[in-house]
Amino acid sequence: MTLLKASGLTAGYGPVTVLQHLDLEVQEGEFVVMLGANGAGKTTTMRAISGLISRQGHVEFEGVDITKAPPDAIVRAGIAQVPQGRGTFPELSVEDNLHTGAFIRSDADSVRDDIARWLEVFPRLAERRHQRAGSLSGGEQQMLAIARALMSRPKLLLCDEPSLGLAPLITQELFAVLEGLHRDEGLSVLLVEQNANLAMHIASRVYLLETGRIVASGSAAELSADDSIRKAYLGF
Amino acid sequence: MKSLVSIREGGLANWALRLGAAAFVIGLVFWVPTSAGAGLISTAIEALTLMSAAMALNLILGYTGQISIGHSAFLGIGAYTTGIMVSRWGLSPWITFPAAFVIAFVVGVIVSFPASRIKGVYLALVTLALGLVFPQLLTWKKLSWLTGGGAGLPNDDSQLQTTGFNIGRKSGQMQHFEIFGWDPFGDLRRPDNKAAFWYWIAAVVAVIVYLVCRGVVKSRVGRSMVAIRDNETAAAVMGVNLVKTKAMVFGLSAGLCALPGCVIAIKIGSVSPEGIASLTVKGAITFLIVMVIGGAGSLWGPVIGAALYVFVTEKTGEWANDDAIPALIRPLFAWAKVPPGDGIFAILLILLMFVAPRGIVGVWNQYSSRIVRVLPRPAGAVGPAPMAVAVMSTVTDSEREPE
Amino acid sequence: MALFFQRIVDGLSYGSVYALIALGLVIVYRGTGHLNFAQGEMALFCAYFVYQFGEWGIPIWPAMFLGMGVGFVVGSATEVTLIRPIAKRSPFAVFIVTIGLFTFLNWLDGAIWGNQQLPNSGVGSKQLKYPSLFPNDPQDQWLPFGVSIRYERVGILVLVLVLTGLLFLLFNKTKFGLSMRAVASNSESAKLTGIRTNRVLMMSWGLAAAIGALGGVVQAGLNGNVNLGLMFTVFIYGSAAATLGGFDSPGGAVIGGLMIGVIENLASGYLPKWVGQEMKLGVAFIVILAVLLAKPSGLFGTAKVERV
Repeated sequence: MTLLKASGLTAGYGPVTVLQHLDLEVQEGEFVVMLGANGAGKTTTMRAISGLISRQGHVEFEGVDITKAPPDAIVRAGIAQVPQGRGTFPELSVEDNLHTGAFIRSDADSVRDDIARWLEVFPRLAERRHQRAGSLSGGEQQMLAIARALMSRPKLLLCDEPSLGLAPLITQELFAVLEGLHRDEGLSVLLVEQNANLAMHIASRVYLLETGRIVASGSAAELSADDSIRKAYLGF
Repeated sequence: MKSLVSIREGGLANWALRLGAAAFVIGLVFWVPTSAGAGLISTAIEALTLMSAAMALNLILGYTGQISIGHSAFLGIGAYTTGIMVSRWGLSPWITFPAAFVIAFVVGVIVSFPASRIKGVYLALVTLALGLVFPQLLTWKKLSWLTGGGAGLPNDDSQLQTTGFNIGRKSGQMQHFEIFGWDPFGDLRRPDNKAAFWYWIAAVVAVIVYLVCRGVVKSRVGRSMVAIRDNETAAAVMGVNLVKTKAMVFGLSAGLCALPGCVIAIKIGSVSPEGIASLTVKGAITFLIVMVIGGAGSLWGPVIGAALYVFVTEKTGEWANDDAIPALIRPLFAWAKVPPGDGIFAILLILLMFVAPRGIVGVWNQYSSRIVRVLPRPAGAVGPAPMAVAVMSTVTDSEREPE
Repeated sequence: MALFFQRIVDGLSYGSVYALIALGLVIVYRGTGHLNFAQGEMALFCAYFVYQFGEWGIPIWPAMFLGMGVGFVVGSATEVTLIRPIAKRSPFAVFIVTIGLFTFLNWLDGAIWGNQQLPNSGVGSKQLKYPSLFPNDPQDQWLPFGVSIRYERVGILVLVLVLTGLLFLLFNKTKFGLSMRAVASNSESAKLTGIRTNRVLMMSWGLAAAIGALGGVVQAGLNGNVNLGLMFTVFIYGSAAATLGGFDSPGGAVIGGLMIGVIENLASGYLPKWVGQEMKLGVAFIVILAVLLAKPSGLFGTAKVERV
């Protein structure tokens, strides 16, 4: 079933309109990747879906209209975002960061179990459990941001350029975790990236974003097969 | 935006407008001492000194964006310089003006050095503390040999002053003011003439402050100031020497603010921490309110703001008046146990931030440009100054003040 | 020696008031990044209300809680109606609004209650002096070794320490406290975790004003009366305390307040010719300046990297 559906999504910052009547959708269980260069509107799309900026058009989640919903309602509906640049709470400890991720939940015991679980998946975070998040390395903060988003047990995970500023090895690790979650637990993911390589391998479907519009979409195989698209956007 | 009339800057119509406005202002300035009663003259003197202080504050706060709520201290320095020099050392009051300017300038520069390292909000606190400490300094026993402590000056061990102006002493009082053989005021012992005399001192000071402000603002330093206000880091990157500019402007702002202090000291005839309201923090806040309501960052803003403030305070101070304006406001504030002036201005200030952050001048600019629009001179010359202006006008929000 | 001890105790009790004002300033600053210039005047407004409650026969402790309630309302209403819409424009505009509020509240106090001190037999007050939270008749003191330790002073100190402890629990052990810390740390990410940041901001201002109200009531009690100028210098001391402790550290605010109270009292006591009563404020001024020049983030604050 269609989990997320955006039609005619228009959003921007003040007088500057970035997204122009965007149409996209994510089916349940899909791993959708949106590729685009700098300034294409990837982060704007993420922020629009999460309700951080005002938007026109129509956004639906599980059939419910969330176009005018405030950010906290969108989280409660089941969408969690790993923002660009990590977005951790630097003064709070790793553990407190994870607690904030579970803010909308009231089942304290399960929250504790989940924290334990994510610390197992990311052992480096377990080592630094009580450390201030701001003192973690970039890769560790990214792991923390992902774990925090997953603490709310979302149905759809939005990821904004998780590889930004990270070493290739760490990026591979992170993508492996995401792929694992997608495969084993059926987590639906919408991930935006500049780095085409890694993302293409996991994706069920790919969108190409250019100056606020979708210029191409299809499976990874289809887009790789098209010569012109491959050369222009995927760089190989 | 459509406007009814467009005229070229520097053209005939532009000059006609400017001259007309100037004539109006000059007419007003001359009308007050000749035709108005003593009460209005006294109010006008208050307005003129407040204007001068607000214009001085505008340089550092409105144009350069550095918050200062302690300018009352500089005004106080001016007042006390005059008080001390005249009543303790018997000097001529005319000398005290430049002396006060220099002293306040130096203090301002000194204050600006730590200020350079302190960001906005903290600077507000430091200057507030300065404004609060200054009256306390005046009553400090360690300094009372100079300041006369809580009682102020002149006190019993002041020297007789010899040149008159009547700062506290009746004998040796100046009887005529002569300038190149011309005696415009007559016998200064008469209250009418004295009032007119003080009025003109205040007016001349206000004009001097205005001209200095105008000169600075329209110069390259003025553009640096605005650049600092809008984005300090960008300004530094563009080559503005932050420390030097801030020091100079702070010093100038402080020095100019001392001048109305001298005027007040001369008018009242004595200086004391209680006697001069403007040297307390309340005074500093008044300068700020007046400046913002009139229009921060514009030349005429403080002038209009001060005039309005004094006018409204006068009209709402006495409930015995039966003028039209109190009649409008009275029902709103009849319950109040104190005059509503301060309350009105506080509310006005807050409202203004919502609807008209650039103050009265800002509103005027917005609406007057619908009627008459002044087209700037076509860009021609190439060189650093026009280039800087072109760059800065993309960074800043430059506005034209009414001439 | 005994005098020294007494001066410390007295300094701690004055410092407690500074600590309360500083706490309010810090809570607002952490949450919204603004300095609330009207903090002292909000506190004064509530102190006047508590006087009024006393006139209506309400005993001081319930009256004080009511006063804190008034403070909460004033603070949160200010955030919603004045600060939130203006914050979008510029920090300068917010600053001007708080200055306007400072002036307005002070004027309002005079307009409602007059500009004489209260209580005042001249205007028919029923109370003889401003009520204190703790017994403060002349004989209410311990007298160990010839030192006078007044119940009132100790009571105030204990009250502030208890309040600090409660706040610590609030910030660190409750979900709401976590949301406050998160919003202070990164408000956009806070939105992404489902925190209602607007509500947190509103409550921050409300809480800060309520704490300030307590400070106002305590100060009026120490002073014996409430008057229009009561909180001017206290506000500066509170700001000095917040600066010293670090504007983003509530614990620092309390320690800073107590320290400044003690330093100021010792200075005026031991250097009567240099400091005495007149230049006490000079001490605060020097503290602010010294801290800002040496370590702008204060003793316990965290240095923030400034974004260009």
